[in-house]
Formats: sequence, C-alpha cells, structure tokens
Amino acid sequence: MSEFPTVFVIADSPEAFNELVPAAAALGAKTEAIYVGADEAAARRALALGAGRLHVSPARTGQIFEDHADTLAALVKGSGAALVLMRADKRGRAMAAKLGVKLGAAVVNDVSSIEEGVFGHMAYGGLAQAREKPGSPLVIATVAPGTFKAVEMESGDGAVEKLEFIEPKHPIRLRQSKARQASSADIGKAKRLVGVGRGFSKKEDISLAQKLADAIGAEIACSRPIAEGEQWLERERYIGVSGAMVKPDLYLAAGISGQVQHMVGVKDAKTIVVINKDKNAPIFRFADYGIVGDLYKILPALAKALG
Amino acid sequence: MNIIVCCKVVPEEQDIVVKDDGSIDLSRAAAKISQYDLNAIEAAMNLAGEGGQVTALTAGSPKWLESTKIRKDILSRGPHKLEIIMEPALEGALPDATAALLAPACREIGFDLIICGEGSGDLYAQQTGLLLGEMLDIPAINAVSSIAVENGALVVERELEREQEILEMPLPALVCVSSDINTPKIPTMKAILSAAKKPANVREGGEVKSLSEVVSICAPKAAERKNEIVEGDAEEKVDAFIAMLRKVLQG
Repeated sequence: MSEFPTVFVIADSPEAFNELVPAAAALGAKTEAIYVGADEAAARRALALGAGRLHVSPARTGQIFEDHADTLAALVKGSGAALVLMRADKRGRAMAAKLGVKLGAAVVNDVSSIEEGVFGHMAYGGLAQAREKPGSPLVIATVAPGTFKAVEMESGDGAVEKLEFIEPKHPIRLRQSKARQASSADIGKAKRLVGVGRGFSKKEDISLAQKLADAIGAEIACSRPIAEGEQWLERERYIGVSGAMVKPDLYLAAGISGQVQHMVGVKDAKTIVVINKDKNAPIFRFADYGIVGDLYKILPALAKALG
Repeated sequence: MNIIVCCKVVPEEQDIVVKDDGSIDLSRAAAKISQYDLNAIEAAMNLAGEGGQVTALTAGSPKWLESTKIRKDILSRGPHKLEIIMEPALEGALPDATAALLAPACREIGFDLIICGEGSGDLYAQQTGLLLGEMLDIPAINAVSSIAVENGALVVERELEREQEILEMPLPALVCVSSDINTPKIPTMKAILSAAKKPANVREGGEVKSLSEVVSICAPKAAERKNEIVEGDAEEKVDAFIAMLRKVLQG
C-alpha cells in the first residue's frame, strides 16, 4: 500500500529526478514532478522515471530558483499532495522553508528514512538519529543524497505543463552567477582516504599526507578547520556533518582529534586507522588500528614503506 | 543599520553522554554558543561598523539561558544588547516552534537586517532562520558567504553546491551565513569586562508549538572497532604499525 496519495518532487537540475522520482513512486500512489530551470528536454526524464506529469517553471533572467516559491506553492496548494520531496542541498532547504510557511506544512531536512509517517534525520552533530512525526496534512522533506537508489534515465514522454510565473512580493535580484570550479576531488567515490587535521602546523606539510596518499592510491580529505578556517584544502574535501559523508574501505586520519561532527562522516568506513600524538584524543575510540606518535615522523616512514 | 543576530545556546557535544540503551544524556553538558552562530555574530559586528546597532536574540530553555556566564559570552562578542526568550518547553524544540517565537520578538525589537547562522550545533536542521524570514514576510536566503550594503540594498554572495551567486536583496531582509564568511574573533579581556555592563532583557516567550513531534532521539549503534593501538613512535613501534597497515591494504 502506498503511504501517501500524491507526492510532488521538485528539482532545479534534471539529474535530481533520477533519485527523487523513483523514491516518490515507491512512497506514493501518484507522482508529479516540478522542474524549475531552462533545460526542459532533460527534465522530461522525470516522466520516464515514473512521474505522471511534469510541470515546468522556466528559468527567468535575473531571478533565482527561490523566487519561484510562490509559483510552486500555488500549484501544490489544493493539489491534494501529502508529501513534497526535494534534494537536501542549499537551494532545496531554502525552498523547503519557504514552501513550509506558505503551505502550513511541516518541514524535515536531510531525511534519511521515511517509514509509516515517521521521518528520520541526524541530530547532535550526527551523534544521534532523530525520528520525527509531522502532524500537518502536507510534509515537505529534503532528502539526503544517496538515501534512495538512483535510476539512470535520459528521456521520456507524457504530459508537460508550463506554470504561470507568480511574481514574488520581494524579488531577489540575481546580479551574477558563475559555475563553481569543479573540484578535482571526488572523495565520495574514493576507496581509500587520508584525512588531514589540525595536527598539521602549516599548509606545506600536507605534502607529507599527499605522499602517503600517492603511495597507497588514496585521495586527500580533511576536517572542517582545514577547509573552512585555514582554507588549506578545497571545501569538497572536508568530511563531516556539514561536509561530505563517505564510506571508504580505508580511512586513515592523521592529526585529527575526532570530534563527533567529523567522525559521523566516516562512521561507515570499513577500516579506520589513526595517527595522533595525543593518546587521549577521542579519535582513538573510533580506531581499528592506531599509533600514538608524531605524524611528522610517522607519515614519511609509511610512505616509504608502502610506496 | 539596525541588526538582529540570532544565536542559539546548545549543549557542548563533547559533554554529551550516550547511554547504553542509546539514549542521550545532556545533564552534564556545558552550555555554549552554537558554533555557526559565532560566525553570524561576527558578521553582524563587521557589517554594523561604528554607527550600527546590533541586538543578539536567543531563544531556549532556562536550563541554558539562566546562566549569566553564557549571557556574558554572547555579549562579549560585540552585540550592544541581548534579548532572551526563555521557555522551558523550548528545550529540544523543533525549528518551526522556535521561529514562531522569534518572529514577534524581531518585530518588537525592530530591524533592517536579521543574521542567522547556517544551522544549529545540535539539530542542524538549517531551517530556523529561513522559516523566520518567511514568517516575517521578508526576503530570506541561506548559504551567504559575504554581505555588504550598497545604496540601501543588501548585496550578498552565495556559495552553493554547484554555483556562486551575487544577489541584491531589498531591506529589511534575513540572511543565514555560512561558516566561511569569517573567522570569529576571540573576545578581548576588555570586551569580556564590558559585557557585564550591557543590558540583557528576558522576554515573555509564549506557546511553544510545532507541526511535528519528535518520536525519539537516540544514538545509532556505533560500529565495533578493533582498537589495536600502538603507543609511541620509536622505530620498532612504527614498524609494528606499518605491519598492521599492510594487512589492511591487502584487505
């Protein structure tokens, strides 16, 4: 039996439908897709993936995705929808909050499970899993990537309807938009990761970790302060509750203290290996193998032995 | 410029105890300012400059907010005054309930701009600020990595997963700032001393009501780890460690 009568999925990129539409189809009796953007042809995949209908709100010059909130709210309102699914990215969260208030709907972010009306998501920096039961007739949920299985599909046929744009009361003007430089790193896919933390005293020293990574075929990852405070490494490389969540075969953490916000990002690593000079660092509790000692001495020895 | 900066007082994660049944024990946790809100306070102080007025606004349970230490901690980071919404039912409250209490307080205090952190250190739902903006019916946006005022409008840079945007927002507005907008300064001794003299006002809270109900919060079972630790970095110790690692790599 379907848990929800009608489920809407909203996306600003056609690829997002690959995961969201099959998920909606599994949860609801009827799926309708909404696409905001310029590539209507690519968005048609939503139909092939199982959406009964595709609504399109075409991209508008000088305006952003979030400016379409009134347009989307007008469509969802009165449609009988019980659930709206979006990607748990920054735009998804912004839109979810706007729709939540406009439609009197409960919003749940970073949902990792939906079962019998109970939505699961992380709490306390990943230390705990919260289960929440929304009481409103409509629920807006943003879904953590990888929660549902993605299905690849490129095209599809079915009814496409253009939405009439409703001008927002307080439009936000887009002055400029530029694509972010794609990072060379995709730590989500790497089988082996070497994590760099505060134990490194300067940026140049990361080369020690890089040499080991090269020796064992690993990518470099890091803790939050290295990417955001020091900006020694790209943001895409940082692991943790507000960064990447990874599942490598091996995670070798060097000079990382092991705050829960970081460790939650590697909790599914098959093997965790730790190098830290502080015997009492919390990270040793998460270690399969570890050594208490100076990473400046140990990393070069490892690179030499394993290269 | 009149700025309200919202900040949440949360339990120090390091002090949270996970009990054997997976339940979470906060009774021994110290109070701290949610780390992402430190960026919000810093951003407010930087934008306000000399002439601006910055009011810190916090909502939570008396358990965290009755302490003069935490109040002084907030004020020592620069805000000119502190407004406190204190309600026992705010302990563990969901974002919509908190935002609904913040909204009328913001209206009463008055503002040109509200600054929030990207998410709280405890729930990290990343919703409260955005909901608050929508409830106040003002333009609101998240992921803001820089703020400036130009000709009476707000110009913000926004760092998204796949793109960067430069946006112009009419005031009054609300922004949720990301943690890379600045590096929060550590309060000086002078700032700590002067914090004691700044006004802190406790406000009537009101009903704490959410559309959702928390069914449970518990720690998932952590994976069993082998915990084989070598102590010391003398050559033979490192060799023993290399032997372990070799085994792992051969998998």
